Amino acid sequence: MATRIIGLLLSLSIATLAFGHDVDVVVVDKGGHPVADVAVYALRLNGKNESPAPTAVATMDQVDRQFVPHLLIVQTGTPVEFPNSDTVAHHVYSFSHPNKFMLPMYKGKQYPPVIFQHSGVVSLGCNIHDHMLGYILVVDSADFTMTDENGHAILSLNNPAEYAVKIWSPRIRDKEKFLTRSLASTTRQDAEVVFSLAKRLNPTHDQQAGGASWSDY
Amino acid sequence: MVRLLILSVAMPLAFAARMAAATDAPNRYQLNAGVDLSYVATSGYDSWTQGFVGKLLYDGNTDGVKISQAFIDASFQLTDTLKAHAVIDAYDDDLGAIAGFTQAYVEWRPVPRSKNRYRLKVGAFYPHLSLENVSPGWDSPYTINYSAINTWVAEELRTVGAELSVSRRPEMFGGTQTFSLQGAVFVGNDPTGSLLAWKGWSAHNRQTRFGDKLPLPPLPVLEPGELLDEQNPYVQPFREIDGRAGYYVGGEWQLNQQLLIRAMHYDNRADPTAFEDGQYAWNTKFNHVAAQIALPGEWSLLFQWMTGSTVMGQVVDGAHIVDTEFDSKYLMLTRTFDRHRVSLRNDKFEMTQNDDTEDDNNPENGYVWTLAYFYDWSDKLSFGAESMVIKTHRCGWEYYDIDETRREKQLQLSVRLRFGR
Repeated sequence: MATRIIGLLLSLSIATLAFGHDVDVVVVDKGGHPVADVAVYALRLNGKNESPAPTAVATMDQVDRQFVPHLLIVQTGTPVEFPNSDTVAHHVYSFSHPNKFMLPMYKGKQYPPVIFQHSGVVSLGCNIHDHMLGYILVVDSADFTMTDENGHAILSLNNPAEYAVKIWSPRIRDKEKFLTRSLASTTRQDAEVVFSLAKRLNPTHDQQAGGASWSDY
Repeated sequence: MVRLLILSVAMPLAFAARMAAATDAPNRYQLNAGVDLSYVATSGYDSWTQGFVGKLLYDGNTDGVKISQAFIDASFQLTDTLKAHAVIDAYDDDLGAIAGFTQAYVEWRPVPRSKNRYRLKVGAFYPHLSLENVSPGWDSPYTINYSAINTWVAEELRTVGAELSVSRRPEMFGGTQTFSLQGAVFVGNDPTGSLLAWKGWSAHNRQTRFGDKLPLPPLPVLEPGELLDEQNPYVQPFREIDGRAGYYVGGEWQLNQQLLIRAMHYDNRADPTAFEDGQYAWNTKFNHVAAQIALPGEWSLLFQWMTGSTVMGQVVDGAHIVDTEFDSKYLMLTRTFDRHRVSLRNDKFEMTQNDDTEDDNNPENGYVWTLAYFYDWSDKLSFGAESMVIKTHRCGWEYYDIDETRREKQLQLSVRLRFGR
């Protein structure tokens, strides 16, 4: 029993070493309100992606003629599957260079996952349902997460001072240079990074409003 | 030309039927069907559908329980980017066969290679105009009977031709805005305007099928020996008379699901002196604007305004033999809560006349109030109740020794069945 506890404590401390320190990222809008569903990721200042290659499959579902989630963040090289949970067929595509792809006319899980080899924003559409819009943000890092409803996200970094933190969301209109924060001068082990956005946010996509129908049959 | 176009649609449809046997066919077709069973009680003049002047679809002679709507709306993906779409409506009346096509077209939807999306429709279809008719079968989710504008569109407007639409993908604007432009070239639609000028505005949900003959009121000017006695007692609005193509151009801007603004200019470019097989060509032009606004709560406001002119015949004393201007607008407030929907609509309509032709007095003005309620029992079954009042002042009604001002009323209770996959 005692050996087990010691073993557990030991593995926990190794885990702490391995996962390093928490960087608390906060995103607030012009009015100081938290912004949820913002992609947050850390890139090494030396430009190298030293993260292990991704193995797990990520999922971009289609439910009620919407992409779910609206924004998915993955590491470069991640296989992403696009199951169709609707009863109608979808025809998912992206023209975002160089991650173009197309999955014609399918229901359920008809296609093998798509592997995104290049970093960047992949905007998704459905050629049957023009109003459908979704995003995959492909980043050269395994250190990523999304802000929660309180606008908070925690990144666990081994040595924060070696990283820059970046954020992205289709709702954010601020220039890219304001969405990057270097942690090089971080002296404390645990850091807090606050992004106060200067520009008003775009509304959330397909916010159902009013009692009328918004798409032709 | 019309036959060629219909053939060009019919052939892919036949191909579609064959393809339906293919293994992935279930992914490729979409089928919606609807049947409405209604109890109708009206008070008003005998209906225009009976060859008189009443603005409603029904009258005292036809009150009671009836099948008030029946349609099949089917589409099939011929290829990944080519879709065939057909809508068949059935009516138990004397205006045509029991069933017929209201729309039949092929749509090409190439996968976008850039932020521009192109869509091309070829065949017979409605111009992109109505804000109300957004359900399968071009039906309205808001009211049983349509606004005056869209009732006229259902009666006399159909594009038999090609429409190209270009839209910007919404991520250009952070996923919030969509722009699109449409342009169409069409044949047919030459007699369009006959029914509007001679009968006036209406409010109902009957969609003219290809082949239907819509009765005209017994105007003195159409009687034997009178000026326009060569006109058949009916109009076939989708026919080509003069061999000249018409066009429309339009645009739309949508801000999220908050605000939509739509505009169109339409001109059938018909030669108003052309005549064939008992049908005159009418030069019908209009401008149309529409807006849909989401209000706080589950409320929405819909607005459409159409203003234009329709003329027929030689120019005599500075005006065509029949020279009318038309104008209609409506404002509708609609709200859903849970499985309920309530809609209140007010239409205003007007027709003015520039000609002095005797026995052909067409000016009118009036309004419609429509209050509708729907309850969705399930996806397949809903119940509707609608009360409608149309007040019209039309001088031409003096020809029939009836009041020139009349308030026509209709109560309709409906059981609506919808099937879809």
